[in-house]
Amino acid sequence: MSDIIFIGLSLSSILLLIALGLSITYGAMGVINMAHGELVMIGAYTAVLAGLHLNLNLFFALPLAFVTSGLAGLVIERLVIRRLYGRIIDTLLATWGVAILLQQLVRLEFGLSFLGIHVEGLGPGLQNMTVPGFLTQPFDIAGITIQPYRSFIIVVTLALTALTWWLMYRTPTGVQVRAIMRNPQIAAACGIDVRRVSALTFAYGSGLAGVAGVLLAGFKTVMPEMGAAVVIDGFLVVVVGGVGSLLGTLLSAAVLGQINGVFAILTNDILARAVVFGVVIALILWRPRGLFSFKSR
Amino acid sequence: MSDTTASSATPNRLNRIADWGIYALFIAVVLGLPMLMDDVFWLNRIAKYLVYGMLGIAIALSWGYAGILNLGQGLFFGLGAYMTAMSLKLMSSTSLQQGSDKPVPDFMLWNAEPGAMTDLCCINKGSFLWIPFQHQWFGLAMAIVLPLIVAFILSSSIFRLRVSGVYVAIITLALVLLVRLLIIDAQPVTNGFNGLTDLGWLTIGGFEFDPYMVQTYYVVAGSLCLVLLLARWLVSTRAGLILQSTRDDPTRARYLGYDVAAFQVFFFTVSAGIAGFAGMLYVVAAEFASPSFMDITFSISMVVWAAVGGRNSLIGACLGAILINTIEATVSETEVFKEAWKLIIGLIFVLVVLYMPRGLAGLARDLTGWLGQRRRGADPMPKAAE
Repeated sequence: MSDIIFIGLSLSSILLLIALGLSITYGAMGVINMAHGELVMIGAYTAVLAGLHLNLNLFFALPLAFVTSGLAGLVIERLVIRRLYGRIIDTLLATWGVAILLQQLVRLEFGLSFLGIHVEGLGPGLQNMTVPGFLTQPFDIAGITIQPYRSFIIVVTLALTALTWWLMYRTPTGVQVRAIMRNPQIAAACGIDVRRVSALTFAYGSGLAGVAGVLLAGFKTVMPEMGAAVVIDGFLVVVVGGVGSLLGTLLSAAVLGQINGVFAILTNDILARAVVFGVVIALILWRPRGLFSFKSR
Repeated sequence: MSDTTASSATPNRLNRIADWGIYALFIAVVLGLPMLMDDVFWLNRIAKYLVYGMLGIAIALSWGYAGILNLGQGLFFGLGAYMTAMSLKLMSSTSLQQGSDKPVPDFMLWNAEPGAMTDLCCINKGSFLWIPFQHQWFGLAMAIVLPLIVAFILSSSIFRLRVSGVYVAIITLALVLLVRLLIIDAQPVTNGFNGLTDLGWLTIGGFEFDPYMVQTYYVVAGSLCLVLLLARWLVSTRAGLILQSTRDDPTRARYLGYDVAAFQVFFFTVSAGIAGFAGMLYVVAAEFASPSFMDITFSISMVVWAAVGGRNSLIGACLGAILINTIEATVSETEVFKEAWKLIIGLIFVLVVLYMPRGLAGLARDLTGWLGQRRRGADPMPKAAE
């Protein structure tokens, strides 16, 4: 029984990890960022490259990936998303283009492969990140086998959620972000620099994607297409939880992850995912605005 | 779009002439292409892109005219493809390997339990579903009927509950992923990941449509022209105009007494039927059906083709799909270009959304508008209302 819960918990934490960044960019800013998966991918590649070229392990890669993905997010916001606020479907299409662009940049090693230069760790192939030894050895506590890396992910995810909550609800910037969420015009009229705060918020959400990428790299193969597979799951979690609600995102990740875990044991992985999609559809039909939401915009 | 002031009569007429001119030109080129090109391999390729063009029409109908972004159009395309492929599979010589006259798909035989009866009724638990597909026409009919049924049920529940905007997109997206997983999971019946391959040829009145044959191209091209004109007629009917009003302001349309949901359901379903028809034609031309038709990438790609061509224009979206795919196939002949092209296409999508939200069709309309103004010469007229 505890095994099942742990598997579900571990699935939930990964969902939450990806959804956390999205709950900021989509939930708070109304931007469907299809390139979110690619920001995850950039984080994963940062970890790979940092390990290969700078000899930095996972713990150093985490902040580094936060910075690289955050910066990438900042650039995307400046060049593309800034022009599309309020046009939610267009953000989806434009960032889909950005996603293809980013994937292709990594695959072509930023165009260097045209010149015959190859960077180890980039390109179309598969990469791996080495996880420090003490995080890979399972150990027993009171008869329960603990997977240290999975536990590490759960802990980091919860810590990041707490940090995000603190930023959003306990800091002056967080108040500004929530004001913009409710009504950007009034927020601007009250003297909030909407552009600056939006850009920072987007960069923060992107940075979270980078951290997610590093953690994913620990148990998944790193490749240019890895982001596309995770971004949809993240969206479904955010939508089910309720746009703009951090608590909703947390709970919906927990519930969907547990459903996935339980059905994976009862049937198989494929059907379990199908069940999750079914539940998501039913929940959206039942409550289009999500489990927890407020009226806004 | 239309302008009621008398002064704009000329540009309006010019627009209408240009509009019909483009339709006529398009149909002439599509139907006349085999006379210019006798390479059947390229004709077969282009037939596939014409099918994508049909998907563009389906997207423009639901997204441009109804304002419903369906990110799961691949579901209907896939259903149409699978229904057709099931019939064609049973007609394939690979299904008659047992020497019996009762066709059984080869993959079922490979995976059959020892001693299982090699008959469609009971070779495995789900194989009885294949029985009616022994008649080719059943498969072809289902390729359109099943998408219609699914779309009707889906859209009725969505629009009766007044779910709208981005939530429709997310529901359709989740649904296409759901069905894709079910098809992969139902391996004994659907051949899972591998899809249905080694299909027979479409046979009508004893004539076999070899995909690499001019006649097959004409079937696809003729169907596309038919669907294009039909869709064009549909949006110009009263129902089509009311639909556009529900897109622009659903609340107002509702207060004017129109049953908004009914119009949305109708056009969503028609769009799904077109996608199913496209799936059928794709199988006839490409000779396979696979779960990749229900990949999310494919469904979003369709929307992007339509966006580049012009989401508010049936022929624009259709041309967008055909052009992007033809260019892609041309440049993909060399490896370097192939990789660079993906970079370029990503950039094009971003630029189109940012600077040309009405796509190529919007550009063309601006051009005819500008020409109309020039023809009027010195007479200064107010800018045509958009």
